[in-house]
Amino acid sequence: MQAIQVSEVHKSYGDVQAVRGVSFEVAQGEVFCLLGPNGAGKTTIAEIVEGHRVATSGAVSVLGIDPGSDDRGLRDRIGVVLQSSGIQEELTVGEMLEMHGRWYSRCLAPDHLIDLVELDAKRDTRAGELSGGQRRRLDLALGLVGDPDVLFLDEPTTGFDPHARRAAWSTIRSLCQTGKTVFLTTHFMDEAQFLADRVAVMVDGQIVASGPPEALGGRDELPTEIRFVLPDDVVVGELPLLAESAVSADGAAVLVTTSQGIAAANALTGWALQNRIALTRFSVSQPTLEDVYLALTETATPEEATR
Amino acid sequence: MTAVPTSLSHDLGLTAWQVRYQQRGFWRNRRAAFFSLIFPAMFLVIFGGLQHGNTLDVRGHLSFIDFYTPGIMAYAVLLICFNSSAMIFAALRTNGILKRVRTTPLPWLAYVGGAVGSTLIVLVLSIVALFALGVPLFGAHVPGEKMIGLLATLLLGAAAFTTLGIAAAKLVAKPENGAGLVSVITLPMVFISNVWYPMDGSPAWIQDVSKALPLRPLADGLQAAFDPRFGGTGILWRDLLPLAAWTVVGCVLMTGYLRSLARRA
Repeated sequence: MQAIQVSEVHKSYGDVQAVRGVSFEVAQGEVFCLLGPNGAGKTTIAEIVEGHRVATSGAVSVLGIDPGSDDRGLRDRIGVVLQSSGIQEELTVGEMLEMHGRWYSRCLAPDHLIDLVELDAKRDTRAGELSGGQRRRLDLALGLVGDPDVLFLDEPTTGFDPHARRAAWSTIRSLCQTGKTVFLTTHFMDEAQFLADRVAVMVDGQIVASGPPEALGGRDELPTEIRFVLPDDVVVGELPLLAESAVSADGAAVLVTTSQGIAAANALTGWALQNRIALTRFSVSQPTLEDVYLALTETATPEEATR
Repeated sequence: MTAVPTSLSHDLGLTAWQVRYQQRGFWRNRRAAFFSLIFPAMFLVIFGGLQHGNTLDVRGHLSFIDFYTPGIMAYAVLLICFNSSAMIFAALRTNGILKRVRTTPLPWLAYVGGAVGSTLIVLVLSIVALFALGVPLFGAHVPGEKMIGLLATLLLGAAAFTTLGIAAAKLVAKPENGAGLVSVITLPMVFISNVWYPMDGSPAWIQDVSKALPLRPLADGLQAAFDPRFGGTGILWRDLLPLAAWTVVGCVLMTGYLRSLARRA
């Protein structure tokens, strides 16, 4: 059984269609990431799957149950970490975890969770006195308190400094290894790349591409790019002939785009060594997830602007 | 998969725990504790001190303290049940606690029950404190059997104002402005309801308005228990019936509001 199944979901608010026919499945134990710019409809989809909102049309099931049906058994098995949600500010971190733990049929010990999200020093601090980052870590611990089978993380590191993000990632990564299904939304590509088994890019209410981060948008089949700078006394015309390659130059800076990355790199470096030509800033790269993402999201921009 | 226990006794147990957590939070919030407990007690001490030994001639030479003690008890019911409930439930909606609770297996009613139960504990403490000040300091007194009427009036008053207060949370768009807004609703009613001073001899139309509102029957019912001119058990249907009617109105409005909070968009 798939942990999450979403098929042909539409959601409109009056005349605005926030989600326009979205379908995807998340297998048990998989880390699935919905990636997209702000306003793409990620949070709407997340809220439908979490049971906060009801789809205008389409079918949704989480662990085989419709999340819109207000099923208490389902809520016992999911954990939701929203972008922002309230806490009882007068209760301490330990008390918050203890209180929430009572609501579930099984729960993790507050001390274990506090340890996991590295709030050890804040156990007896009132929730209202935590910093923004500590608050988010408490949110994560509260999402985990019922030892959920499916964990929803809505933009879990928005507003974090780089160090805190790395720390949060490693916490989430270690959770993923415990076999939990994780549904993540983010607009950070590096976050998707670091955490997700599979990414779906959402633009303007639709999924425009999906796949493992390393293959998203046919990224693994896109041409390799070789960049270098020629010395002053060498011109582009002197380069060796390269198979299945396109060469472009901007002054002395050269870009070779090729489907035969290894052969082209070998030919170029061999030629340079043989002729004692110093190629500076030599690099070989695949298009990054960011390149693919920008290409995917750019195509939708004019439509976005007319809304 | 462990099944979530769904028995009533389990849910009541959860509600009892929620009362405890709400109480813990309440006592750590100094402002809430001040307005619910110190504020009414302070009024009693000030008014009781100012009018010490004086009597109310329009009420058959009733001692002022026997007017003020029940009057301020009615005011405490208003502050604790109406004002606090409105603020608590407005905050629940706007600060996202409701949204968080909705994704957990805690029944929404257990959360509501926890908040209401905690409020009622504070009310009991406030009433006890007013007795504990009014009786030894200024000689207020209630004949024993009239405690029945006093408690019945308090109970219905608490029910009416708690349900109305929860429903009034709908009007509070931003909790930070809520205290002012709630005062605007309640303060005019306080002035015309036998709380600060007797309405005896006021124009008939003001009497009609004040009797149509829920605070006047609460204050009147409580004052009857302290007033020697009223005998028996102190049960006065004149006051209990309007309070019961307001409780029905409160229940209807509250249920509508709580349903709208639980609904998914």
